[in-house]
Amino acid sequence: MKGKFSSKVAVLAVAAVVLVAMFAVPALAKDTLTVANIYDARSLDPIIQNEVAASNAICHINETLIELTDEGNPVPLLAETFEQLDSTTYKFVLRKGVKFHNGDPFTAADVLYTIERAKSPLGSAIKQYPEIIESAEAPDDHTVVIKIKYPFTPFWGTIAHTSLAIVNKRAVEEKGDMYPLEPVGTGPFFVKEWVKNDRLTLERFEDYWGKKPEYTTLVIRSIPESVNRTIELETGAIDVAFRIPVSDVTRVKEHNDLDVIGGFEHSVTYMGFNCEKEPWSNPKVREAIALALDINGARHAVFRGTGLTPVSIVPPTIKYTDKELPAPKRDLEKAKQLLKEAGVQLPLKAQIWSNSYKPRVDLAQIFQAQLKEVGIEVEAKVLEWGAYLDGLKLGEHDMFILGWVISSVGPDGIFSGIVHSKGGSNYSRFFNEEIDALIDQGKTMPDGPEREALYKKLQQLVGDARPMLYLYNEENFFGVNKNVQNFRPSPRGYHNVTGVTFKE
Amino acid sequence: MLKYIVKRIFSLIPVLLGVAFIVFTLLYLTPGDPARIVLGEQATEEALAEFREKEGLNDPFLVQFGNYVWKAVTKGDIGRSYMTRRSVANEIMSAFPSTLKLALSCVIAAVLLGIPIGILSAIRQNTLFDNITRFLAIVGLSMPVFWQGVLLILLFSVKLRWFPASGFDTWATLVLPTLTLACNPLAVITRMTRSSMLEVVRQDYIRTARAKGQTEQIVIWRHALGNALIPIVTVIGLQFGSLLAGAVLTESIFSIPGVGRLMVDAIKMRDYPVVQGGVLFIAVAFSFVNLMVDLLYAWIDPRIRAQYR
Amino acid sequence: MSGNTAPRMKSEAGLLDIWRRLRKNPLAMFGLFIVVLLIFFAITADVIAPYKYYEQNLINSFQSPSKEHLFGTDEFGRDILSRIIHGSRISLQVGLIAVGISVIFGGFFGAVAGYYGGRIDNLIMRGMDILLSIPSILLAIAIAASLGPGLYNMMVAVGISTTPQYARIIRGSVLSLRGQEFVEAAKAVGSSDTRIIMKHILPNCLAPIIVQSTLGVASAILTAAGLSFIGLGIQPPTPEWGAMLSGGREYIRDYAYMTVFPGLAIMITILALNFLGDGLRDVLDPKLKR
Repeated sequence: MKGKFSSKVAVLAVAAVVLVAMFAVPALAKDTLTVANIYDARSLDPIIQNEVAASNAICHINETLIELTDEGNPVPLLAETFEQLDSTTYKFVLRKGVKFHNGDPFTAADVLYTIERAKSPLGSAIKQYPEIIESAEAPDDHTVVIKIKYPFTPFWGTIAHTSLAIVNKRAVEEKGDMYPLEPVGTGPFFVKEWVKNDRLTLERFEDYWGKKPEYTTLVIRSIPESVNRTIELETGAIDVAFRIPVSDVTRVKEHNDLDVIGGFEHSVTYMGFNCEKEPWSNPKVREAIALALDINGARHAVFRGTGLTPVSIVPPTIKYTDKELPAPKRDLEKAKQLLKEAGVQLPLKAQIWSNSYKPRVDLAQIFQAQLKEVGIEVEAKVLEWGAYLDGLKLGEHDMFILGWVISSVGPDGIFSGIVHSKGGSNYSRFFNEEIDALIDQGKTMPDGPEREALYKKLQQLVGDARPMLYLYNEENFFGVNKNVQNFRPSPRGYHNVTGVTFKE
Repeated sequence: MLKYIVKRIFSLIPVLLGVAFIVFTLLYLTPGDPARIVLGEQATEEALAEFREKEGLNDPFLVQFGNYVWKAVTKGDIGRSYMTRRSVANEIMSAFPSTLKLALSCVIAAVLLGIPIGILSAIRQNTLFDNITRFLAIVGLSMPVFWQGVLLILLFSVKLRWFPASGFDTWATLVLPTLTLACNPLAVITRMTRSSMLEVVRQDYIRTARAKGQTEQIVIWRHALGNALIPIVTVIGLQFGSLLAGAVLTESIFSIPGVGRLMVDAIKMRDYPVVQGGVLFIAVAFSFVNLMVDLLYAWIDPRIRAQYR
Repeated sequence: MSGNTAPRMKSEAGLLDIWRRLRKNPLAMFGLFIVVLLIFFAITADVIAPYKYYEQNLINSFQSPSKEHLFGTDEFGRDILSRIIHGSRISLQVGLIAVGISVIFGGFFGAVAGYYGGRIDNLIMRGMDILLSIPSILLAIAIAASLGPGLYNMMVAVGISTTPQYARIIRGSVLSLRGQEFVEAAKAVGSSDTRIIMKHILPNCLAPIIVQSTLGVASAILTAAGLSFIGLGIQPPTPEWGAMLSGGREYIRDYAYMTVFPGLAIMITILALNFLGDGLRDVLDPKLKR
């Protein structure tokens, strides 16, 4: 009797496993495009968060007045034409016949509402974008004139940022707390269902003004585990996997149904020195560290040869970057010599801080081993994001690894952010009057050869002063199913897939 | 009975106040400026100051705590997430279904397997089957869930391609997380069933039942199991309660959008209102499950029912 | 003085008896053997590890297990076997100190609550109930986040989060001992409360403490590894098993050994402690037998 019972259990268990296994791989209709990102958007309200995961979703739902090409040139989107009237006045003529997902027509009033809302306290996370706007007016239903506070050359980048994607007043007010889950825009897709931290399902908007996507459903999944993203791609559960790990690149390339597309973002990762603290305040010591490290070799080890070792603070995808600057080179003898000249007592104890992003932790550990060779004993300290920024603000650090992503166009952002003495993220605590003055000047200068010359000079000056060493420009890899066509990653870090088509 | 339930619910109040206070204190001591983390690396100083002022982060500790409790009690408002600007209640309720689904599937699996195995093991005490079961139960208790999860992914998702490694929509996506997470409760329930049965089998009334010539099956299933059930129900309840609290590690390995992941993300991102609300919610859920277990006792055992009157 | 001789005598005589009975349990002996082995590894790690745990060799990274590197090398070319041997030191330290914290605090609160009873008991145990209503892993995460990363902070976080469980057990035993004759006798000869608790009561509730602690070391190691796994643990290049496992996850498809060996190390350790704890429970505390 008892024996029968246990064999029954076994039979049942086997049956259950077989049953479930049969339904394990769901069949996919080809009118659905499924992409997988690392993180989910925190909110689908454009002004709540300044993050690429949110922008990645929002750019399919809400549209901005203009768009920037990868080279940084403005092109029309909801504004049919646009012009700069004088150094602080911009005029936008809006597209006619555009409808929101709720049926409302798109007019100048929506633009004014969007700007006003972005400047309200609710938009504090993205405040740095609309802040420059002095006023906005609508002479008629389809014209908007924006005045800014002072001449600001990267203003096109501001207007093209997803935080200023146009929202519909009626929808925002009607939906209240639910708005971030059911946003309403003019874009090619509207939100059908959002299971947070899992999947966002978007449906094609049939009244879209522009070229409609060829497929009807777009699913954006969030899969933080990189191994899982690759597995899902291989099993065909997803069509495009964002940011597959370098360790999977070869595997995906060799897969019969899959391709890998690489691309750079407008970003650089650097190791900063605390220039206010002994002995890092001495430029000789900073140079000695530069010579003691094999940055190129470390990058090769961590990223398996992918990506670039930067020569300039300005990422290679950004206008006016100077690719001719000298590359870092290891010279242990000279490093020791410089340390001696600087009167540094060896062994010198120091810390390298980083947050928990694995490549950064890995680099810190490699540098730890490399610096040991010149008598510097480094402790690699991994801090969690909040504690990290706090510590940097207090200036307790020696060296730290941090990245910078340029969200607007042009090289201005990175200089005013991390090099300018008043920069909000100048954790190097660096101060140089000449460099500050040049940064201020470059911000307001119209584009042209003169501006280019100024930024080239800045790159050289900052490179020589060495408030930081440039560690890498990360190359991102996208795993793509071979039947997916027209997917092109953007250096902005978020990727509009409206134009993707399927091969038969 | 009703009186008892009401009393139990009222006794929750000091516990919840205490929980809120502890969490508040921990968060207060946590380094990291929420304003800076929430608004991002490139936020302006004004925006930061504005945020701190609006969220009351400049107030003294006790004032912050007082305000929180006051709002929660008078308006039922436990705040808004710093990250999403949505109400914390909404955030938790959208994460809870996933956690509940996972917890239920684990408990069901553990009960369906654990009780029969435990009984068999008790009936055949000190046989090979019993020894193997006891050995496996300890192994089950010793498996680090995160390792087990990773190995299961390697085997079933990477090598065999049977089950997906992430996502949480179809039944297939439930299999691996359940296999990972059910091990522990399964081991606990098996052990408890076994020891509880062994205890009961020695009692007089079982001997009486046997003496009366009832079949072994009826003796085991009706007389013995019925009486052995109370401690088993207790551990099931406890296991279910702790599963509800969020299987933090499992949820992060399998990318499950549940409460555990919500909490860890919130702690990392200094989303204080979500941490607060989340821990309170878990404490309530925990207590609720315990109450249910107690009521279940009363239902199973008339002697206890009499006490609640 | 005469009051305490009887129970003491009993426990001393019992030690041999316990050992004799424990020896009959093969699983417990296996557990004990592994635990002793681990302690040996932890003490002699610097001598017996074939390489230094932090020594990098980038050219030699991702070497599969071989004669030179029995468990292979990691992404920096560090010897995994050496790191696991050194990791035993970390894990045992975490386990013992975390449990030590729990036992000291839990013991104090539990003993005071049980001994004095009444209002004090009520107050302390309500406090413990509050802590118990937060799941210990979540509590440990929250404490770890508020203390910041690091080995010692991790021990404190794990230790505090399990304190109430010890308080409960010890209170229970104290409660059952409070009314017994030898306690009454000690009171009668005018011993102070502290003395009675330390000299008469606690030694007599050692059994459940020992059992719970053995099992507790296991769960403390597990919790700590879990904290490291989600990135709230220790600093690199400290070879903590959970952190090693987490670090190897990215490479699991090509270099599974990077995750398998640290995982095995954790599992065997926990298993050994659980076997030992179960065996001890059977011997020391037949009432608790499951």
